[in-house]
Amino acid sequence: MTAATAPVTAPRSWRVPSAAGPARLLRLELRRSPMLWLLPLLAAAFYVSTYRPAMDNPPFWNIRSAMLQSHTMLVFAPLLAGVGAWVGSRDGRRGLADLVGVTAVPRWAGRLASWAAATIWAELLYLAGVAVLYGVTAGQGAWGGPLWWPVAVGATTVAASCAVGFAAGERLPGRFTAGLAALVVFLALAGGAFAIQDDATYAQIWPLNVQGPFPSDSYGIFHPYLPDLAIAQVMFLAGLAAAALGALGLPATTGSRWLRAAAAAVTVAGLAAAGTGTALAGTARLEANGMVIPALHDAASDRSAPYTPVCGQDAVPVCLQPAYRAYLTDVTTALGPLLGQLAGLPGAPVRVTQVAVTSVQSSPSNGIGFGPPVIRGRPAVLYLPLSGLTLPGEGSTPAAAFISNLREQYLPEIVNEFVGLPAGTGPNAVNGIGVGTGPGHQAQFTIAGALRLVVKLYLQQPPGGRLPPGAVAARPGGIASQQAAAARRFAAQPPAVRHAWLASHLAALRAGRVTLSEIP
Amino acid sequence: MNVEIADLTRRFGRTQAVAGVDLEAGPGVFGLLGPNGAGKTSLLRMLATVIPPSSGTLRLLGHDPASYGPRREVRRHLGYLPQNLGYYPSFTVAEFVEYFALLKEMPAFRVPAAVAAAIERVELGDKARSKLRTLSGGMLRRVGIAQAIVNEPDLLLLDEPTAGLDPEQRVSFRALLRDLGQHATVIVSTHLVEDVGAACTQVALMDAGKIVFHGTPAELTDRATGTDAAGDAPLERGYSAVLAAARSVAGARS
Repeated sequence: MTAATAPVTAPRSWRVPSAAGPARLLRLELRRSPMLWLLPLLAAAFYVSTYRPAMDNPPFWNIRSAMLQSHTMLVFAPLLAGVGAWVGSRDGRRGLADLVGVTAVPRWAGRLASWAAATIWAELLYLAGVAVLYGVTAGQGAWGGPLWWPVAVGATTVAASCAVGFAAGERLPGRFTAGLAALVVFLALAGGAFAIQDDATYAQIWPLNVQGPFPSDSYGIFHPYLPDLAIAQVMFLAGLAAAALGALGLPATTGSRWLRAAAAAVTVAGLAAAGTGTALAGTARLEANGMVIPALHDAASDRSAPYTPVCGQDAVPVCLQPAYRAYLTDVTTALGPLLGQLAGLPGAPVRVTQVAVTSVQSSPSNGIGFGPPVIRGRPAVLYLPLSGLTLPGEGSTPAAAFISNLREQYLPEIVNEFVGLPAGTGPNAVNGIGVGTGPGHQAQFTIAGALRLVVKLYLQQPPGGRLPPGAVAARPGGIASQQAAAARRFAAQPPAVRHAWLASHLAALRAGRVTLSEIP
Repeated sequence: MNVEIADLTRRFGRTQAVAGVDLEAGPGVFGLLGPNGAGKTSLLRMLATVIPPSSGTLRLLGHDPASYGPRREVRRHLGYLPQNLGYYPSFTVAEFVEYFALLKEMPAFRVPAAVAAAIERVELGDKARSKLRTLSGGMLRRVGIAQAIVNEPDLLLLDEPTAGLDPEQRVSFRALLRDLGQHATVIVSTHLVEDVGAACTQVALMDAGKIVFHGTPAELTDRATGTDAAGDAPLERGYSAVLAAARSVAGARS
């Protein structure tokens, strides 16, 4: 050690760059933040939790963006809380609390630089993941544009997780604090998810919740994305972060009276924001186009999103929302045989138009209703929801499975609708033997069964298969057997004969005035 | 006077760590001696504004650090090396020293040169870019000294600064202390009386929370005259004689 007091010029190789104090402090923290070490793990977690599942889903912006909020945060939030706690407990663990505590920079301000550095890295990684996923989605030709509110919720969750963990580490420095913080945040998230399923409405504030417990696929496609819940979540999470960080500035040793007053104001504002967000979430209800919070709701966002449908060139064209363009051929293939049988009959659909799934909130619990296909209007149009079906490319679903599912799920309902059976008549009217309650009803079931037979949907128990739940097996000689025989007989008629009979009897059939004996 | 304290006490529960200390110190190197548990570290921590006194008067660099504003002003001109110095393993030597320069609110334009100077003064120039986790205990101690002196403090408090230093480094360090003491008040708490003899202009000896001797090293040495105090060196014998006398008085009172 030298006693020389003359200024010493450092070798160029380690010259300290000159920069403004706070900026340089942040740069130092950025360079040495433990979050840097976690970035590869976070990137891998993003790939496993979000990117790969997203690629197993159709390239819809709403699905991809929802994953950026729910899937990513389930993994990120506990990890970030753990790292935040590790960073927050640094001085305590390293035995530097005394030394750092007697420096001129207020301790609160100095510690915020550590938190900010960790948070900046985490945010950068998250936003990089968003950029990659959205870039790939855009490259896959997804219709519409990226949704940013889920990203905002995700980014705020990142900051809040770091802040909560950081505050825990600062208050309770120890080598186990990081693990405990991660575990607590994970359990809180998981508990919140269960609470949402149990319809604890205040739990809807939880950041894994995108558009209610059973989000429809219509938001961001048929309807604009409703930001109501996202706004409440951002309020809650930002408030949580502010309260956690502000509370660190309250002790008398952390800074001047003015600074502690500012910290108290930040804490109070944070608690108020978090409380307000939670209270707002408690008023949220699931509507057809997403979660609506009356106090935050903009009625203008209830209007349907404008789009030009993509239509096939068949005699009865199938028209889909352009986000579903890739499935036009499959839907046409599934519906074509039945539409061909019905074409030209009175009340037969002249066009198929895709409609949004219907989301409903049946008090007191949230729920969702998958509306059936309906035939309405003059000329008649078949309105077809595609929700509830696993789309081709979703998981390992092939196009053939989608077509098969669509036929089995929707064609019987379309047939029922066409012959005048009420919607949701039940599984009897689908694959089992439809048993009518009166002569006219029996005829409707019989014609419906015959049309299913024509398009090769099972009239009776499939070979080697089981009847669907609630289906009634035919008893020999019973009315069901008589209906089945009549249906087979009608299905065996030449198409022209079937068509002519239906053309002349359809109105009476729908009105319930046709008996089994009148069916050729 | 950079340090003015009167009837200073500090309690930790039922334990009286510092019991009515009076002290004044101006520029120079001030040695604080005493056995384990004498209250040296507690006194130093009060001087460093880590902990407030339980009672008494404390003025540092002309300020009363009881309130935040003056305390912050003191801290800008304070250097402190705690007894057990932690470190950030992933920081380099230069980054660690720079970090504390920034926390001491040094003007940004002065920081680069000050960091370089501090690192050179503890002879760690060739290790400036080394991560702290790669350094030996003695080197880490020198890094601690570097962060303490980076702001060219007017009040420098060093708790066991030579622990872990080899003899050659201790000799250099004493020279550094003498140099720093020309302009600043340097208070060195130590068990090593030879450090005090070589570097200090003033020395205080603490026992049971009280200062039982205050004078020059030569005066401390003289206290051994006419006694059979134990010790290998004259200063050690003075140290033992003062302690023995203080304890006999305390024993007689009790």
